[in-house]
Amino acid sequence: MSVQAATSLPAPAARPAAIAFGIALAAAVVGIVLPLLVASPVTLSLATQGLTNAILATSVGFLIRQSGFVSFGHATFFGMGAYVTGLLLKHTGLALEAILPLAIALPAALAFVVGLVVVRVSGVAFSMLTLAVAQVFYEIVVKWRDFAGGDDGLSVTLPPRVFGLPTTLFQEPGDMFRIVWVTLVVILFLLFLLARSRFGRLCFAIKDNEERARFIGYRTLMPRALVFAISAAIGSIGGVLFVLYNGFVSPDVLHWTMSGSALVMAIIGGAEFLIGPAIGAVVFLAAKDKLGDITEHWQAIIGFTLILVTVRWPHGLVGTIWHWIRRRGRGGRA
Amino acid sequence: MTTPALQGIGLSRHYGGFAALRNVDIAVPAGEIRGLIGPNGAGKSTLIDVLSGRAGKWSGQVLMAGTDVSRHSPQMRRRHGMARSFQRTSIFPNLAVREQLELAAHHGGGVDEVLEQLKLDGLGTGPASELSYGDQRRLDLALALIGRPRVLLLDEPAAGLTVQESLDLARLLRDLVKSWGVTVLLVEHDMEVVFSICDRITVLHLGERLMEGTPDEVRRSPEVVTAYLGRSAH
Repeated sequence: MSVQAATSLPAPAARPAAIAFGIALAAAVVGIVLPLLVASPVTLSLATQGLTNAILATSVGFLIRQSGFVSFGHATFFGMGAYVTGLLLKHTGLALEAILPLAIALPAALAFVVGLVVVRVSGVAFSMLTLAVAQVFYEIVVKWRDFAGGDDGLSVTLPPRVFGLPTTLFQEPGDMFRIVWVTLVVILFLLFLLARSRFGRLCFAIKDNEERARFIGYRTLMPRALVFAISAAIGSIGGVLFVLYNGFVSPDVLHWTMSGSALVMAIIGGAEFLIGPAIGAVVFLAAKDKLGDITEHWQAIIGFTLILVTVRWPHGLVGTIWHWIRRRGRGGRA
Repeated sequence: MTTPALQGIGLSRHYGGFAALRNVDIAVPAGEIRGLIGPNGAGKSTLIDVLSGRAGKWSGQVLMAGTDVSRHSPQMRRRHGMARSFQRTSIFPNLAVREQLELAAHHGGGVDEVLEQLKLDGLGTGPASELSYGDQRRLDLALALIGRPRVLLLDEPAAGLTVQESLDLARLLRDLVKSWGVTVLLVEHDMEVVFSICDRITVLHLGERLMEGTPDEVRRSPEVVTAYLGRSAH
């Protein structure tokens, strides 16, 4: 998969970062205003759920884009974010202010350690290892009924306030939509900066030609494990927001079908573009909602769409539009 | 006697039952351009791989200015001042030329100088995969040259280039490494390139060192003529 669009940019400069910051700011404002224009709380609630999925899809896409690794088990980190939040709230006296960073740091730390092993292999082997790790965590949660609630899931009661704000904000669709939207925008902006940083370029180089990267003097294991950990941290943020909103978490969020859906979202949207997986999540969930009203076999249609996108538009929706605009631009100049 | 900039002692490498390299000794003094020639399968690329840390299981010892780097990884050898190019062009196809040279330079600078010397400036900000083959070969060389390594291992840098491109590259290489004082071990099939720029030449045959000498000595050696060069070299 090419990363041309991301890596053929000029050397790091303040201007593109400033432009990206402006776009991010505008996007954040749009997200804050949007709930005012949507009357239905159900629609807002669905959109909020969709955005947490978009964060998971972004984490999967980031991993593909930055390192070339395709994870079949990224729901692990989404689920861990949710479960760590829920379990620490239920079983410890820790304040939510302390739990939230822990719920992101623990999955990231685990991913880093696991990453030091799994990123040594590539292709299908890597994908299968991530799937195996995910299934281990799924089974632990399902079997550990006393501690994690097993199949029944885990109800989470939030304290009344966090960081001085009422936690009812997290469970009101309009407010939570704003919180998740702005979080997604901030994540995308930070990933943009990361891609343009020296570390980001090194990761692209390792993805491009790992052997050459070693022969120009770089260790290649650590950057790959770090990218895996960062992607896990992003996924766990989605999980934390998910449990804060729903006040409940079940093993479904750790299931391989969740990982599969996130991967499909990333591919449909275009994993080589920062915004692609998030767009893919919106399209996927909108299609699921609409098609679900028409037929119970909506998954078959999604499957066919995935085949079509992979074969006909391998750059995904965003990539296809991007390349179309570039072609038109070149044609216009010629 | 001064310590060689690069030294291999008793280097051997086997692929299963096949001995690609058999107890080869090589010592290249600082600032020398050493050619490494021999027929296909002689062990030239294997020797470069062993010296650069690319090869898997091998035996012997590799020294840089007297320091044993045998157990060093490729990245440690690079930090010690050893760089190499590859027989098959090895660049970062999705990165722009300047981006990859800046990465290769670490924080050492010198990018503009290498870009200019290798005529890679002005190639735009597009991905390197869009460059011509000749430009990609020069970029491969630039990735090795950046940071002024002390020891440079070049595996057929002129492969696939036209005669004129090869000669231009040879001249450029000679001027650059002589002015920088780099020690070079050069594997090359183009004898015109080898004889025109190398101070001395080591000849390998069937994984063993056949002889070592100046270009004239090698050209006149009946053993080398029989094994590799043929009568036209006279």
